[in-house]
Amino acid sequence: MVAFAIHKELPMKTEQHTDTAEGYPAEITEEMEFTPAYRWQHWIRAVAILILTFTGFYIAYPFVAPAVSSEPNNFLYALMRSWHIIFGFVMIGVVILKVYLTLVGRAYKHERASLGDTLKPKVWIAQIKYYLFMGKHPHLKGVYNPLQTMAYAGLYVTFFALIVTGLVLYVHVYHEGLGALLYEPMRFFEVLMGGMANVRQIHHIAMWVVIIVVVIHIYMAIFNAVFGKNGSMDAIFSGMKWHKKH
Amino acid sequence: MEKTTYDSLHQAFRQRVEGLKKLPPMEGRDKSIEETIEEAGFSRRDFMKWVSAVTAMLALPATFSPLMAEAVKVADRLPIIWLHMAECTGCTESLLRSANPSIDSLIFDYISLEYQETIMSAAGWQAEENLEHAIERYKGRYILMVEGGIPSGEMESFLTIGGHGKSGRAIAEETSENAAAIFAIGTCSAFGGVQAAAPNPTGAVALSEVTDKTVINVPGCPPSEKNIVGTLLHYLLYGTLPALDAYNRPKWAYRLRIHDLCERRGHFDAGEFVEKFGDNAAKDGFCLYKVGCKGPYTFNNCAKQKFNQGTSWPVQTGFGCIGCSEPNFWDTMGTVNEPLRDRLYNTVFGGLGADATADKIGVGILAAVGVGVAAHAAVAAIKPPKV
Repeated sequence: MVAFAIHKELPMKTEQHTDTAEGYPAEITEEMEFTPAYRWQHWIRAVAILILTFTGFYIAYPFVAPAVSSEPNNFLYALMRSWHIIFGFVMIGVVILKVYLTLVGRAYKHERASLGDTLKPKVWIAQIKYYLFMGKHPHLKGVYNPLQTMAYAGLYVTFFALIVTGLVLYVHVYHEGLGALLYEPMRFFEVLMGGMANVRQIHHIAMWVVIIVVVIHIYMAIFNAVFGKNGSMDAIFSGMKWHKKH
Repeated sequence: MEKTTYDSLHQAFRQRVEGLKKLPPMEGRDKSIEETIEEAGFSRRDFMKWVSAVTAMLALPATFSPLMAEAVKVADRLPIIWLHMAECTGCTESLLRSANPSIDSLIFDYISLEYQETIMSAAGWQAEENLEHAIERYKGRYILMVEGGIPSGEMESFLTIGGHGKSGRAIAEETSENAAAIFAIGTCSAFGGVQAAAPNPTGAVALSEVTDKTVINVPGCPPSEKNIVGTLLHYLLYGTLPALDAYNRPKWAYRLRIHDLCERRGHFDAGEFVEKFGDNAAKDGFCLYKVGCKGPYTFNNCAKQKFNQGTSWPVQTGFGCIGCSEPNFWDTMGTVNEPLRDRLYNTVFGGLGADATADKIGVGILAAVGVGVAAHAAVAAIKPPKV
């Protein structure tokens, strides 16, 4: 993980091996790995996934229900569904934003460069060996290693499956406005998937794919932060990553 | 603007009804449709009430009611051929066997069924001749109604009918060829139905798979009598096919889901659910979602038209929808009385392992991932990777 979009040189001290005024060792530079837009969409997406997963499980099977009474209650199920829909649209927003940035953003050319690495079998083998403690981390052209690039590409395919199935379910509840606009195209997808029951199940299974990818993602992020010793975990918060000067 | 549209529509209907009046009624009827209805104990007032309801059902204004009444009277001018394919005769039976036949079923019973295996008196060679004769005589004029899925491919011979040993598929193809309009009555002919469920041993397919012509699907197991007769009266008045949804079902009947029209919908939004049959929530008429109602995935108008002369319908009786008017509902809807979340998938080794729900499989994979992560982390702690 070497090439970064924005390169910020830190003030140099005359003496080697002493800390800078900011507390950085002098032979280390700080570099912008993730732009603010990148970080915001990442964390908004993370929160959305959490809320969507919880409310989604509730919608699939309402495991908590108010006690049976004749009194009016707080419309718990409708409430869960509204939060699901609100964060569903938040999710659609950030996924579209991220896809746009990745495809055309100037600061994202190193993400695009990751694709080049996936075409090199040698990089694949070296990366797998690294994770199996059998070799050194390969030199990468882009920001993601091939396994990572493939996992993220797969994740986005899953997001789009969730978005399309989610919208099919949406247009059958909300028939006006956006629902009316999307009604006919979504019915095309409904028929393609073989009816609403299948749409619901594809939505449910795709959620499981996301849950599993998220768990692996968090572990790999921690693993790389601990052993990569370049502050890759910091980068998703501050945007900055440490890099040894050559 | 709207008035003009209705006026021209009214005029078009009038012309069509007048045109049909000129045609001779089908043979073999000793009474008129009105007499038949009257003899069954319905007054003129009952009949007009029914006519108004059907007019409203087809989204026409009340001024169309008298025209609708006339249309019903000339319904016997339309030759109808009804084919039985791979089916249980439930669609026919549901219309014919009611103890107190409704006006819908009386009309259905009366209208000229040139060929209907269940109710015709002819048998054997004579029956086959009747079919050939009807196709020839009413070429391009008759309405074809088909009940049942159609065994196809290598299994085509699983449905072989009559002395000529014709396959059901061949008969369906032949009759579709010369039909003025084609209605697939019931889920089997609309989508394949129960015999098309996995593993589909007879290779049953929908009627729309065996003809290039537009097939109007009227699914349901059985479809309500109102939807069958309504589709027919719609064709009778308009002379064209109705507006169809994504599955070629008439929009006037199948535009909304069971869920959208459900009388228990308020309880669904409120989060008030029946937990198990017979509990207090069930007595209070709460939502049946958790005991497996498939209303949210099913398009039909059962909640409005109901069954048994409008007495009731499944959800009203406290039993969830099974999704019978949806394609492949036997396979896609999961177990009756269990929510879709609990649908079972064949899992490991081609189904040799236990069937499992998506959640069970998901938790299983998640556990495996957890074990993998822990093992990897443990190795990393002992033998850190080379940087």
